[in-house]
Amino acid sequence: MENNPLSPHIQIYRWHISSLVSISHRITGIINILVITLICFWFMFFLLGESNYEVIKLFLQSFLGKFLILGTIWSFSFQTLSEIRHLIMDFGYGFDLTTTKVTGLIVIFGSFILTVLIYLLGRSLF
Amino acid sequence: MVQINLPQNSKINKGKYFKDKTGSKNLRKINVYRWDPSTGENPRIDTYEVDMDNCPSKVLDILNKIKNEIDPTIAYRRSCAHGVCGSCAMNMGGKNGLACTKPHAEIKGDIDIYPLPHLKVKKDLIGDLSGLYKQYQSIEPWLKNNSKSETTEIHQSQEDRAKLDGAYECIMCACCSTSCPSYWWNGDKYLGPAVLLQAYRWIMDSRDEDKKERLQKVADELKLYRCHTILNCTSACPKGLNPAKAIAEIKKMLATT
Repeated sequence: MENNPLSPHIQIYRWHISSLVSISHRITGIINILVITLICFWFMFFLLGESNYEVIKLFLQSFLGKFLILGTIWSFSFQTLSEIRHLIMDFGYGFDLTTTKVTGLIVIFGSFILTVLIYLLGRSLF
Repeated sequence: MVQINLPQNSKINKGKYFKDKTGSKNLRKINVYRWDPSTGENPRIDTYEVDMDNCPSKVLDILNKIKNEIDPTIAYRRSCAHGVCGSCAMNMGGKNGLACTKPHAEIKGDIDIYPLPHLKVKKDLIGDLSGLYKQYQSIEPWLKNNSKSETTEIHQSQEDRAKLDGAYECIMCACCSTSCPSYWWNGDKYLGPAVLLQAYRWIMDSRDEDKKERLQKVADELKLYRCHTILNCTSACPKGLNPAKAIAEIKKMLATT
């Protein structure tokens, strides 16, 4: 059996909404950890004086900075919604095949809607 | 561990092309995973043109047609052809299922047929399930009751019996376990949906007196908690069962008792 080939797995298995949400949940989780660390550093730089604040402000107003902000908002939105979905599942609900599809779609589309809402809210506040 | 790429000896080559000889106008291309243990070559994909005008409705019918009329060397398991024995479990159109109950009309375009994912291949579409059977044995799937009497029945109320619905119907075809990415990466330790559904079936049985020990036995970071509710299992199950829910119920029982 040692030399027998391994049958193909992830290469051939079709993606479902639930598996897509699951892997995205993990990826956004990792992104969030990195971003939170970044935000901590950002606040640390504030302590070092006003010029640092100006540099960070300049960066966040650039295209890359805005992309980073939007990406972060999306990542947090996705993680939050997906986590709520997992929480409901931990109570034993929502395992029906159609329900998982619907809740999965809610997570995917909801994350983008939430991103836009948070971004607009942030813009009107600051 | 997570290994995305296939090992060197498992890389798939292009195989033979079997052109249609019947002259039929209604043809479908069937791509079948082939591996012959006697040659020492890598696996390959053979393509068959099959006359669909003279083919019954299920994927297994296509395979039988290929074996009977085109290429007798192809190997696959099958027995009952009614979705009861679980022998013909394979990956069709990117999803696990039973070839005997899967209508080929549900698959669009060319039909790709592979063995169940992430198993050692014995030949062509036959995967080695001995690891799964060993895990099945490890949960001790039999009734444990201290009753000494051999003549009196152990009673079960209708409500208690109803708790086994959705678990006892499992035919152990392994469609669910081999669809699970967690089982792909940790199949040596994680029990997988099929075995955990059976563990649940015995935990829930009111006649069984070993509930606590059974629960303690599966309460393990790797055996149970590698389930991340990816839900490939539930969507793959050809019997319409819900292993993901059963696993969630086990987790719930462990958290609340």
